[in-house]
Amino acid sequence: MLKIIEVNGLQKSYGSVHAVQDISFYVEKGSLFSFLGTNGAGKSTTISIILTLLQHDTGDVKVNGLTVGKDDESIRKEIGVVFQDSLLDPLLTVRENLDLRARFYRMSKYERGAAIGRVAEIVDITAILERRYGKLSGGQKRRVDIARALLHQPKILLLDEPTTGLDPQNRKQIWNTILQLQRDTGMTVFLTTHYIEEAANSDFVVVMKEGRIIARGTPNQLKTDYSADRLVITAANHSQFRNQLQADQLEFREENASYILNLQRTTDAIPLLAKYQDDITSFEVMKSSLDDVFIQIHNGKDGSSDAGIC
Amino acid sequence: MLAFARRNLLVYFRDKAALFFSLLAVFILIALYVFFLGDLMAEGLPDFPAKSWLLTSWILAGILAVTSVTTTLGAFGVMVEDRSTHTYLDFYASPIKRSSLFAGYVMSSIFIGFLMCLVVLFIANVFLFFSGGELLAFTQLLKIIGVSLLSVLASGSMILLLVSFFTTSNAFAAASTVIGTLLGFLAGIYIPIGNLPAYLQTIIKFFPTSHSAALFRQLLMDRPLQEAFSNAPIAVIEDFQLNMGVFFEINGSSSSLLFSVLYLLGTAFVFSFLFLTVMRWKRT
Repeated sequence: MLKIIEVNGLQKSYGSVHAVQDISFYVEKGSLFSFLGTNGAGKSTTISIILTLLQHDTGDVKVNGLTVGKDDESIRKEIGVVFQDSLLDPLLTVRENLDLRARFYRMSKYERGAAIGRVAEIVDITAILERRYGKLSGGQKRRVDIARALLHQPKILLLDEPTTGLDPQNRKQIWNTILQLQRDTGMTVFLTTHYIEEAANSDFVVVMKEGRIIARGTPNQLKTDYSADRLVITAANHSQFRNQLQADQLEFREENASYILNLQRTTDAIPLLAKYQDDITSFEVMKSSLDDVFIQIHNGKDGSSDAGIC
Repeated sequence: MLAFARRNLLVYFRDKAALFFSLLAVFILIALYVFFLGDLMAEGLPDFPAKSWLLTSWILAGILAVTSVTTTLGAFGVMVEDRSTHTYLDFYASPIKRSSLFAGYVMSSIFIGFLMCLVVLFIANVFLFFSGGELLAFTQLLKIIGVSLLSVLASGSMILLLVSFFTTSNAFAAASTVIGTLLGFLAGIYIPIGNLPAYLQTIIKFFPTSHSAALFRQLLMDRPLQEAFSNAPIAVIEDFQLNMGVFFEINGSSSSLLFSVLYLLGTAFVFSFLFLTVMRWKRT
């Protein structure tokens, strides 16, 4: 297992505000890594430090063996970044934008032309290369942003909420491109997102809150530890069904005239449905989602930001 | 750095609104002269040969001085806009030194200011010819081009210090409008310095753009002055020149071309130093 990003004991404060408090994690080479947290959790500060945009107070950050704060210029060659906002020049054409950025990596004219052709094909923007960036749709802009990040064939692609503001169709298209790219090139993808379900494809997830890591694991581990599948039942006779559940000492909650029972495993629903089949008018087994995990982690199962499975 | 400077040029020239607003003060000045100030000044002076040529040269010198400031200011707007929209993050995340990026902004802004001065100079020359004056001589043109570069460098250094305090485009646009409007007064371009109260004259003499305007006047008004005051006593000529801001009265004597050149060079040096000091202070 090769660690392409290693963060150890990282701390960063802005005056009396402790944005990042002694966090440690690593990212495996070739993996899809998700970094989750609400606004103000410390994600952006951590990313800015990894991108060498911000100096940290204490701790070590290494990117592909290079040390942040010492080898910054080399680190920037290793990372391609898609920022949350579109940061290319709206008045320049897509080709002009890409050509300028390619020059930052000291590519020759021939190399620049080849790089633009290559990335244009990957993200399917060949047809819009001569159009002004500012005239493109949100989805097209995002594809161009990804192309810009891929120009120098980075080892790490850092995506800071890449699909925010996009419609579902464009979101899906962007994700297909990213996952295809990861499969084809073995590139490490470091993702932050507000759409928690996007992290479901990840190999590993880290959740931050108030500058600390409060949970980490694979999506399945987190689902197991922080949430459960649910059986939602609607009964013909409400009060009778409630009494029956209470008599059987089952934990449940009522919501919109339905009864919700947490399940350890999905298959635990089978004996319950068999037992109460005469009372049930309808039922649904709901799989736990990463959204549930995220809400659970933030709202309470851990109880405090220091607890969790870190 | 050159590629980045080229990018700034493209962004500036493709933003038609920004281009227009950076020339707004020039347009205002032309409109004021055509509809109001031109007649007012002409009526205030007795009739003499080449009067119209002389006054046109005076206002064109003012326009050149204003252009050297407002277009350079407008060009630095690209830097403020990049800061405002966080575009700079994309540059900072690339393997390019921040000093190179910064040099790219300075280089493009100075180039834009200088280029716009050349365009205005060309138009001024054509206008002078068709309005009854003479085309500028080649040596005069070269000197004016030199003064244009010096003016742009001096105003560029002042603007550089100014833009280091702006992080939003709106604030910068508001400041640009105020500067563009005040510039004509502070540099003695709307109204001849001799018609203004003493305290305002003192302020104008300190303002570097006034010295740009004075240098442009010395060069542009040289021929029409010879024509208009060919038989006049030296004292009358000097009095007219001081009144119109061709030279300034400093400590009882008339300023020279060299004085204004050194004043602009000093301005460029002092403000560049102040800017670097502010940047160092901001970093710590």
